Amino acid sequence: MTPVMGALLRLWAAAALAVPMMAAAQDAPPVINPPPTAKDWAAIGKLPDWSGVWIPDTPDPREMARRTKANPAPWTEKAAARIAKQNEDRKAGRPDNIFANCLPEGMPTWMMISNNAMEIAMVPGRIYFLGESDGNRLRRIYTDGRPHPAEPDPTFHGDSIGHWEGDTLVVDTIGILPQVWLATGEASGVPNDGDMHVVERIRLTGPDALTDTLTITAPHVLTRPWTTTRLFNRSRRRDYDIVEGVCLQENFTAETDETGDAVFKPQAMRDDGIRKPVDKPTGGEAR
Amino acid sequence: MNHRPNPFVARSLTIAALGLALLAGPARAHHSFAMFDNDHPGALTGVVKQVIWSNPHIALLVYRDAKPSETPELWTFESGSPGNLTRAGWTSRSFQPGDRVMVQYLPLRDGGDAGQIVKATVLATGKVYGTGEK
Repeated sequence: MTPVMGALLRLWAAAALAVPMMAAAQDAPPVINPPPTAKDWAAIGKLPDWSGVWIPDTPDPREMARRTKANPAPWTEKAAARIAKQNEDRKAGRPDNIFANCLPEGMPTWMMISNNAMEIAMVPGRIYFLGESDGNRLRRIYTDGRPHPAEPDPTFHGDSIGHWEGDTLVVDTIGILPQVWLATGEASGVPNDGDMHVVERIRLTGPDALTDTLTITAPHVLTRPWTTTRLFNRSRRRDYDIVEGVCLQENFTAETDETGDAVFKPQAMRDDGIRKPVDKPTGGEAR
Repeated sequence: MNHRPNPFVARSLTIAALGLALLAGPARAHHSFAMFDNDHPGALTGVVKQVIWSNPHIALLVYRDAKPSETPELWTFESGSPGNLTRAGWTSRSFQPGDRVMVQYLPLRDGGDAGQIVKATVLATGKVYGTGEK
């Protein structure tokens, strides 16, 4: 190796080393979530106790209609027209369940209309809402003082930041997918179309009553911010504990394949979503 | 309590069976219940074929009582989710294949052989299962 070649090689090696080092120097160091201390866990015990299973208040259709009349959502003209059509269809028995595809209701609609129970769990720095319908009916509310990301990637449940004001948890949610329905029923709602912002004030309003007061700003479908409430009632009964709830399971039927393995096969359905089981009576002809 | 279909309903049933039996279609299992007629509840007795204990709606499959010369129709009765029905006092074993039952239901508006359960009773024991919280 000549001295020149040796110098060139050293230069190349230095450059090869320097490039990744420079790139690393430009990135901010990753933020580390501090491991919770015994004191952090103890602090959870001083918060209002929201543990357990919460069953949403689900009024009958008459009461629902009364509430809608008392506090109508300030829909834009376009949204109102679509909802009026949905209401006509429902009355005529032509339901269009906007959640028929089993995607999550998302925020804030889950809190507003779900008929399914949820469990709440608090750990240092975050609060989980665990919905009974599907494992992805899950909210994480960060209470560790972090801000929203500057540009959150939109999700069904958005980015939720919470802080306590006395016994009230104030939750600010942005970053919700524009396709997420803003709905007042399973067959009554519109896609929010983006830029939605939800502020919730959640507090115990009785020993086993939790009230979520939601103020929803959805500039593409509401003419002004709209405030509505949802009540959840707690049960400590063990037989009320949350069970698994896979929304798509109904589309499948449990069968045995030709090798004897237990398998799910597509379930025949009527076009309105009611199962249409294939009748295979034993000892007789199939219809 | 064995209610007989009128000729129109019987015709609709045949059409529904022919037209819809093989419809797999897009995933629509998580349906609403607006296709059921709240204003005209019905009731029938029959024999349980199977309980499908799955989300988001369970199904109780019942062979409706028929004359000896007839083939019993298989009816599909749907209700709430396993979680919500557990809180209403059901288990996946509340109804066993072969149990004689009386089902009070909201019928399909199109006359199809399915309904939404209002109450279902195991006739041998008289045990009634509703859908409200216990």
